[in-house]
Amino acid sequence: MTALMVIPLIMAIWLGMNFITFRNINEPEFIGFQNYIDVLTDGRFWSAARFTTIYTAIVVPARMVLGLAVALMLDQVSKAVRGVYLSFFLLPFIIVPVVGTLMFKQLFDASGLITWAYRMIFESRLPYNELTVKTLIMIHGVWYVTPFALVTYFAGLQTLPSDLLEAASIDGANWWQKIWGIVLPHLRSLTILILLISIMDSYRIFDSIFVLTNNLNPVFKADTLMTYNFSTAIQFQRLGKGNAMAVLTVIGIMIVLIPNLIQSYREQIEER
Amino acid sequence: MEKTKNPIVKVAIHLFLIIFTIYSILPFYWTTMQSFKTLKDANSRTPKFIFTPTWENYQELWLNSVPENGYMIMFFILLAVVLLICMALFAEQFPWPNWVTAAFVLLGFAGLLWGIPEVVDTAEFYDYFVNTIIVTVGTVVVSISIGCLAGYSLARYSGYAAVVILIAALGFRALPRLTFILPYYQIGSALNLLDTRFLVILTLVAVNQPFTIWMLRSFFMDIPKELEESAMVDGANRLTAFRKVIIPIMWPGIISTALFSLLLAYNEFLLVRILTQTNWTLPVAISRYTGGEDPRHLTLAAAAAVSATIPIVIVILFFQKNLVKGLAAGAVKG
Repeated sequence: MTALMVIPLIMAIWLGMNFITFRNINEPEFIGFQNYIDVLTDGRFWSAARFTTIYTAIVVPARMVLGLAVALMLDQVSKAVRGVYLSFFLLPFIIVPVVGTLMFKQLFDASGLITWAYRMIFESRLPYNELTVKTLIMIHGVWYVTPFALVTYFAGLQTLPSDLLEAASIDGANWWQKIWGIVLPHLRSLTILILLISIMDSYRIFDSIFVLTNNLNPVFKADTLMTYNFSTAIQFQRLGKGNAMAVLTVIGIMIVLIPNLIQSYREQIEER
Repeated sequence: MEKTKNPIVKVAIHLFLIIFTIYSILPFYWTTMQSFKTLKDANSRTPKFIFTPTWENYQELWLNSVPENGYMIMFFILLAVVLLICMALFAEQFPWPNWVTAAFVLLGFAGLLWGIPEVVDTAEFYDYFVNTIIVTVGTVVVSISIGCLAGYSLARYSGYAAVVILIAALGFRALPRLTFILPYYQIGSALNLLDTRFLVILTLVAVNQPFTIWMLRSFFMDIPKELEESAMVDGANRLTAFRKVIIPIMWPGIISTALFSLLLAYNEFLLVRILTQTNWTLPVAISRYTGGEDPRHLTLAAAAAVSATIPIVIVILFFQKNLVKGLAAGAVKG
């Protein structure tokens, strides 16, 4: 099991030091750290890194707040209605991401529903430029992962200690005080968990942007690290540089991840 | 939390939830509508909300536009379902053990899957569909078998090495896919395995394994140790105890985990896109329809999207409880 994962990682670092295209794929040419330097001095790499960061910084909080808000409201309605709502809400999450994106995109096609609605309301065409395309990508990002935060929060709300809430009611606490004082602390560990998973997932966002921008990324400058990595390795056939970029991305994500890994390591040690 | 009594707040909550429902399902509604329209209707600048639905797009997608073949396939599927129901009803009365019946049913389905294109003329999309089923089932079976053994041993053996392996697995779960895929591409090209389902399954297993192990382990941890210890006192060895005592009570956990790795395998796009050139699975096949700006692809893409969604929705309908349970309990740890 470990071999299946460790060997590719070591190979990626090694391949990153070679000049490889599809033509000389079986006889790589060793060029040392040239690929790594290429990546680090590549303007498009940094602009992709910037967009990935912006995407993560906007989408992750948005989907968590929205998920929590909806979960709190869902908690207020009766059990029977709840199930119906929940199965609708889950739909964007269980669907194949590529298909979900495709469906989302059809709303914004020339003959799509939103394009039409926009024309009706603002009496002008929906403009497609860097800003709107990026906004679109982010709306889609919120759309398809919110259900995950929602369901997890909802499950967390079901385990709220009711005696604490009752005590708070007797003491005359209002709604906000209960949320701040009891509900949010109770959901704290879940929040950290959702946060970490969301960061990891939005960091490697690929499918949706690939489908939404349709290979027009140089035009919209909406590359993320993954899409740029993909086009370097597969479309421009610079496999070595692609590998180098993947390795550098790993280093980037590890900076975010290492505190979490250390913490779960401690937890596991304690559990023994 | 206790429910609010204020009627205005209640109405506001429902209003918001309904708006959120619309936000969630609007794309589904629109695409399904588009898939039943003729090209002219679908490309109309003012959306047509009232139109005569047509099966044309689905027929083009699955059957090369020969509608008669549809009836034959319907007939086959109906036959299979009737047979399945008969098998389920009379399984107890057959003179052979149950697993023979199960194997027979599985063989029948596989035969049906491969048999249909022999009898009727199906479109390429059908081949991608079969590919997807093979890859998904292969990945689930392999990763659950490995995951059960690894998860069980990691749950029971609590040495230093176990912790290191677990944390490494967690770290690998977070890595971007490309870090694995490009080396696997290299391996595949060296071994002449590119474009085979075998390589896709192998890579998918490698990518999904950390997650499977973590999830199964957390389910195994919930099972008290005393259970298999008592079985071992009664003279069973560890393997028999595992097989006869632990696995039967693990079924709900295994199903939850299998469901998640099924979703992961069914959804995978990037990996399949890189490792295969012709043996695509559905996500890659569908992305092809969005490749061009050709308006002729609009309805076909819609039909493909709906076709790929229906199997997964059926599976989820059956196992929604397991999915929500998995999300709430095990999945969040991975």
